[in-house]
Order: sequence, then C-alpha cells, then structure tokens
Amino acid sequence: MKTRIKELRKERKLSQEELALEVGTTRQTITSIEVGKYTASLVLAYKIAHYFGLTIEDVFDFSNTNEF
Amino acid sequence: MEKFRTKIKRRIVLSSGMVLVTAVLGFYSIYSLNYSDSSTMSDGFVTGFQFGLIIAIFGLAVIDIIKLSLALKDDTKLKVLYNKEHDERLKAIRNKAGAPMIVITSVLMVLAAIIAGYFNIVVFYTLVIAVIAQLSISAIVKLICLKTM
Repeated sequence: MKTRIKELRKERKLSQEELALEVGTTRQTITSIEVGKYTASLVLAYKIAHYFGLTIEDVFDFSNTNEF
Repeated sequence: MEKFRTKIKRRIVLSSGMVLVTAVLGFYSIYSLNYSDSSTMSDGFVTGFQFGLIIAIFGLAVIDIIKLSLALKDDTKLKVLYNKEHDERLKAIRNKAGAPMIVITSVLMVLAAIIAGYFNIVVFYTLVIAVIAQLSISAIVKLICLKTM
C-alpha cells in the first residue's frame, strides 16, 4: 500500500525515530509502512494520520486495495 | 507509562532473583564438576550441559537487569522499550515465529532433558536436539518475517 508518510515527514523535518516515538511504534515499522512492506492496522493508521492532522485517506492510498 | 514502569521494576526484581539462584546453582555445579565421579563421557556431558545452561541464564538475566535499569533512568528509552514490546508488526512476527509457545515448550523440554539425562542419555540427546531444531526453525522464520514484513 502506498502512503504519504515519508513526504509528510520530510515536510515537517521529522525523523522515522521521532514519528515512531510519537505514534507508539518502532522505527522499523515506520520504515516497513513507508516502503509498502507492511500494512498498518486501523489503529496505527489512525494514530499516524491524527499526528499529521489529516484523515486516514489523506495519508494512505487505498486505490489498489480492490485489485486481485 | 507508570504501569509499565512498575512492570519493569517487577521484572528487574525477578531477574535479580534469577541471578541469585543461578549463582548458587553455578557454584554448586563447579563443586559437582570438581568432585563428582563423572567416569563416563555422557555423565560429564550432562553435568557440563547443566553448567552451561546455568551460565547462559545468569548472563541473560544480568543483561536484562542492565537493559531495564538503563530504561528506567531515561524516559525516552523507557518509551522506546514500551513501543518495542507493544509494536503491532513485531507482535505479528513473533506470532508467526510461534512465540510464546515455542519458548514455553523449549523450556519444558530442556527441563525434561535434564531430568531424563540422569536415567537415559539417548532421551537427553533427543530432547536437546529437538529443542535446538525448533528454536532454529523459529529463529529462521523470525528472520525471514523481519526481512519481508
């Protein structure tokens, strides 16, 4: 799944470590979400979106989720 | 976070107890190794295995105490530790690798191996090899998941 986390982090000059600390996860998980290896749970997606002051749809791209 | 801090303090106490118990058992093992009549190779191996296990538990407990004590002194380190223990991705990886059941069964099998070692050396070797095999598989699965997830 594509996300805008990296872009939003860069805008705010925030490191993966700092974001991870704020949303209650690890730096490795943030990396995995950014590169699309791991899909965040609803709770974590909400926390990340809420941290940036956006909605989940603004941060995560759900356009490819219906493809089989 | 206060709840987690209390949990960490409890774990330090538990690890300290483990250090004390293993230290006593370690000294007893040294005494046994020096004065026991381990005439056969298998007797020596079983005693040596027990001693090695005690040393390993002692070392792990000491490392745990140092790590947890450092985390208690620094709020950021404590939060990082909390996040690491409650991270959903790591929880999913641990589940895929069979935790915590693999660890529980391994501990039970090692205890069974030590007891069986006094009666039948073949059972001892079989159980130890089975534990090594299941822990290796779990570690490999964990490594693969860490790379792919």
